[in-house]
Amino acid sequence: MTSTIPKLPQDMPVTSPRYVGKEVKRIEDPGLVTGRTEFIDNLKLPGMAHAAILRTPHPHARIIRVDASAAEQLPGVVAVLTGEDIKRWCNVGATSPEGWGSTPMAVEKVRFVGEPVAAVAAISRYVAEDALELIEVEYELLEAVTNPEEAQAPNAPKLFEHNASNVILDRNYTWGDVDRVFAEADHVYTEKFRWNRVGANPMETSGCVCQWDVVNNSLTCYGSYQTPGFIALGRAASLNLPSNRVKVVAHPHGGSFGGKGGPRGTDIAALLSRKADGKPVKYIEDRVEYLLAGAGQSWDRYYQASLAVKADGTLVGLKVNLVDDQGAGAEGYGTISAAKPLAAFTGCYTIEAAQYDLKLVATNRAPTYPYRGYGPPPHNFVLESMVDIAARDLGMDAAQIRRMNYIAPDQFPYTIPSGNEYDSGRYEVVLDKVIAMANYREMRELQVKARTEGRLLGIGIVNTVEPGVFDWNAYSTVGVPGVGVPEGVKVSIDILGQITVTVGFALEGQGQYTLAAQLVADYFGVEMESVRVTYASTDIAPPHFGHGGSRLGVAISGAIMGACNKIEEKFRLVSAALMQCEPEQIELMDGHLRVKGMPGAEMHIAQVAGTMLGRSDLLPPGMEPCPEASFVWTAPDRNEPDEQGRCKSYLTAANACHIAMVEVDRDTGVTDVLKYFIVDDCGTRLNPATVEGQIQGGVAQGVGAVLYEEYVYAADGQPLVSLFSDYLLPGIHEVPMTEKGALETPSPVTPLGAKGCGEGAIHTTPATIMCAINDAIHPLGIQITETPASPNRLWQLLQEVR
Amino acid sequence: MTALQHVTVTVNGITYERSVDPRLSLVDFLRHELHLTGTHVGCEHGVCGACTIIKDGMAVRSCLLLAVQSDGTNLQTVEGLRNAETGELHPIQQAFIDEHGLQCGFCTPGFLMSTLELLADNPSPTDQEIKDALDGNLCRCTGYQSIIKSVRLAAAKTSGGKLAGTHGSA
Amino acid sequence: MKPAPFDYYAPETLEQAVALLEKLENEDVDAKIIAGGQSLMPMLNLRMARPDALVDLGKIKTLDYIRQENGTIVIGAMTSKRAAEDSTLLRDRQPLLHAATGHIGHRQIRNQGTVGGSFAHADPAAEYGAVAQALGMEMVVVGPDGERIIPADEFYLSFLTTDIDATEVLTEVRAPIMPDNTGWAFQEVCRRKGDLAMAGTAVTLRLEAGSCAEVVIAVFGVNATAARLPEAEQVVNGQAPGEAIFAQAGEAAAAALDEPIADVHATADYRRSLIATLVKRCLAEAVERCA
Repeated sequence: MTSTIPKLPQDMPVTSPRYVGKEVKRIEDPGLVTGRTEFIDNLKLPGMAHAAILRTPHPHARIIRVDASAAEQLPGVVAVLTGEDIKRWCNVGATSPEGWGSTPMAVEKVRFVGEPVAAVAAISRYVAEDALELIEVEYELLEAVTNPEEAQAPNAPKLFEHNASNVILDRNYTWGDVDRVFAEADHVYTEKFRWNRVGANPMETSGCVCQWDVVNNSLTCYGSYQTPGFIALGRAASLNLPSNRVKVVAHPHGGSFGGKGGPRGTDIAALLSRKADGKPVKYIEDRVEYLLAGAGQSWDRYYQASLAVKADGTLVGLKVNLVDDQGAGAEGYGTISAAKPLAAFTGCYTIEAAQYDLKLVATNRAPTYPYRGYGPPPHNFVLESMVDIAARDLGMDAAQIRRMNYIAPDQFPYTIPSGNEYDSGRYEVVLDKVIAMANYREMRELQVKARTEGRLLGIGIVNTVEPGVFDWNAYSTVGVPGVGVPEGVKVSIDILGQITVTVGFALEGQGQYTLAAQLVADYFGVEMESVRVTYASTDIAPPHFGHGGSRLGVAISGAIMGACNKIEEKFRLVSAALMQCEPEQIELMDGHLRVKGMPGAEMHIAQVAGTMLGRSDLLPPGMEPCPEASFVWTAPDRNEPDEQGRCKSYLTAANACHIAMVEVDRDTGVTDVLKYFIVDDCGTRLNPATVEGQIQGGVAQGVGAVLYEEYVYAADGQPLVSLFSDYLLPGIHEVPMTEKGALETPSPVTPLGAKGCGEGAIHTTPATIMCAINDAIHPLGIQITETPASPNRLWQLLQEVR
Repeated sequence: MTALQHVTVTVNGITYERSVDPRLSLVDFLRHELHLTGTHVGCEHGVCGACTIIKDGMAVRSCLLLAVQSDGTNLQTVEGLRNAETGELHPIQQAFIDEHGLQCGFCTPGFLMSTLELLADNPSPTDQEIKDALDGNLCRCTGYQSIIKSVRLAAAKTSGGKLAGTHGSA
Repeated sequence: MKPAPFDYYAPETLEQAVALLEKLENEDVDAKIIAGGQSLMPMLNLRMARPDALVDLGKIKTLDYIRQENGTIVIGAMTSKRAAEDSTLLRDRQPLLHAATGHIGHRQIRNQGTVGGSFAHADPAAEYGAVAQALGMEMVVVGPDGERIIPADEFYLSFLTTDIDATEVLTEVRAPIMPDNTGWAFQEVCRRKGDLAMAGTAVTLRLEAGSCAEVVIAVFGVNATAARLPEAEQVVNGQAPGEAIFAQAGEAAAAALDEPIADVHATADYRRSLIATLVKRCLAEAVERCA
């Protein structure tokens, strides 16, 4: 091969990139702003019925009897599904670790409020809901365990009787000589933290239309799927179908942030279709269903952390004990978000030894699912709060203690104690930049003045590492084995030189279709309008995973560069034959195959593609008449973890530093975010506008998690939040308008130098605001260690020192 | 079964006559009876604003209205913004594209319709006025900053010239 | 989340509406009036409200007005909250009611929601409850026996319950014009702007020879109904304005409350404390306005 994969945008075969690295308008947007994009609830198939699901009101109960006969008789009802059908047709879902899964609808017992117990398909959703009211379910109520402490008590009722207890996983990781480091430290700070449940809440809930081909015994699922291939495999397993008999068609969806797909809803709609002799069945989860029992609850955590520090402020050791309330089983891969912090356990710092005690416990709350950021948002809240606790005790400035503990630029690639390797970074430059932007010194002066007036003004300064480009190896230690996450694309050039990119993921909001078009247009020197990006369903798409783990931008860059490079190689051979020279003399530049050193001797890619497809007589011997190529990318150089979970997991390590200024109202406990500054280094910004959008969106979700959102459960296990008037997504007044700066330290290990950038802000914002609040209130002798810092919670603390 | 009710309603300049179940919500009527699926359903209890449309010149939540309540009214939905003859996008739509005022785009039709009402009433809103007009619309992707920029741009592009109003199909 | 079935009626005159309500009542039909529907529709969608019949007042065109009549502002029950928000008459002559309107929900809610609907729905967290109590407003209802005028302190009975009979329609609300030299304030604490308030306070007062007079303090969002708090008013009446006396009034207000509502956003104690703070702050703001 004579050409190479571009390592930076300027290495692309164009005089200068016209699209990559530019604030390109998104090709997704015309369809979206006109309301034409086909979200799943727009889809209507002939004869389609509409499903509604009956959900249990009990956190823990045995099902004695389900009588759906009256529902079956209601005019307009097409099919009714109960546990009996599930028993006949369905398997318990696979989980990691094994043995903590359920069927999509409860068969013998229910384990959380909102778990499905029956379902109806009818001529409309209205009639389906009428029918649900006619279904009688008799329960024997069981004692519920509603938090990890209750769940671990001796003789606690067990959620899954076949397991020894409610503890899903209990293990310790020790990295380095933790005992020595702690023994030799001048200070050891220890604190407890509580992170309450929050979750994704995309504006569109999950939905699907399923059709069971009862003649050929196969299934097609159209839906709002974040990871279509994964959903297809899961359906095959749960519905007893060969994997090539499940076809998933992902529709553009209204956000996901981790949990989009709704495997339970898809299974139920599929079985309703099966029961209705193959009629298509639509199921659109409503917001109450989503809030109660959708795949949208995450991170229900109890922490204790210890930080070992030398007298001069050097951070040397970190111990974190996490008890994570997973809810009713491990069906939602909540386990892996407890493992993700291994990828950046010690943050930006040169902490030499660390320990992680991890206990995952099942309770009668809703099962937890992935949410943007996975585990690091709570972990960083703990780590950065500990750093501030140390700084305050040592009389150091929050910026200074961080600065002196940074991994230096010349230390990269840098292996952290928990095993991951950071590729690159210039943390001090980022810090200096944001300090200058925020005018940090003046902020501190303002704070001094405010304090003399009795006002509670606080400044938070927090830096984090964002592990980007996830790999399954990161999660091997919690039962998800594997190395590599293949992501494939196909690039095709037609006889007129128009280009199509085929991908296996649907629109979700991050702008990757635009990115694909930018990359291909620059590679082949054509206008972006000449490039069409199209979705392929699971049966025909190249191997793919889709969105997740701050990975897709880098992954499709790799896949597209690989596919374009393969086409370039073919074109080089063809054009060399046509222009009667050696392939080595040919270079691709600005959309032309040129003979080096011979001005004017060149062919446009359209000519080459046209020749390949229309003049096989002119092709070199053995050349396939195929101006297209597929390429499947996965992160290079990943390895299996050792017994302590150490491995090269996430490929890139972006980093950011945020500074926030808040004021806490001493009487009401209300926190006002007054100023917010961000400098982020996620390597090459392939489309700076979409990167900024990812950052600001992460800030919004971070603000939500730390000030507004909480899934509250009563002591008896009843969820108290089932409406958007109680689960508080931040609105336009609540999210701070941030001032943002960028540093670009290209990754040496990715195509074009980009790093994963979808999660950095939600990793950082909760910690930043909590640190700012504590900076505001610590002169009173109090600190808040529980999220969200709601007005009531802060008021309670402030009461103690009145 | 309750008696069906007759509804006559004008949507984006076209008058429709239908008989509907009284309990049918306006958003379900628009989406499933009239096949105007650009108006989205986010919460069905009046908090998220994804279903915002214009009714007789005012932005309203179509999940908090029954189809029967729209009898005799003049509605505008996102489908009515683009000029179907020229294919030209409405300046507000174009501004949202230009300023990256959307990501997943699910909430966007609601924001566009709220913005339409705002700019018809107040062609040069301050940032505070933009926020006050849009605080009934939730977005989970953008963090709102680019939305505010989009509205500013739309206002700038349309100031001087009169923005197509919310009254009638414009 | 779809409503259960119901019958639907859309009378075109008030007389038709009252006659219809009486007929349905006689037939033992559980009928519910829908005005703007911004509170009722979520309850219908959730099947928390499941009336047999809805009587829609939307076609009655005679109940949409804001006028000054003698010393009183009269507002037709079907007037939208947005119209109240945009009313210069209201802004100039009854600024407390005007200010409270701006705190209700979001613009889209105010566009469709009616003034009368909010009074009749009687949500404990409704801003108008406190305004009604503070201003001594009057509600006009029309039933089979004709018109009845209900003073605010008899109007609100309990949580979501008013003195309006099942066969009656609220047609108008009346508020006195704010006298000159009256200071007023309206404040609430919400989790997010536009949310239902965890607590809120309305205050009016006058300054006479350097002392506070005719002090009115009403609160909402904390008990089943909004209420005036004479215990707190007494603390301030006749006193020179000042931070200490306002704080004392706040404490008196907090102490005078029935056991406050508790929910996921605010405990009873927190609500009580918010009232103390809001009363204190509103008194100060009202005094500012007197100047």
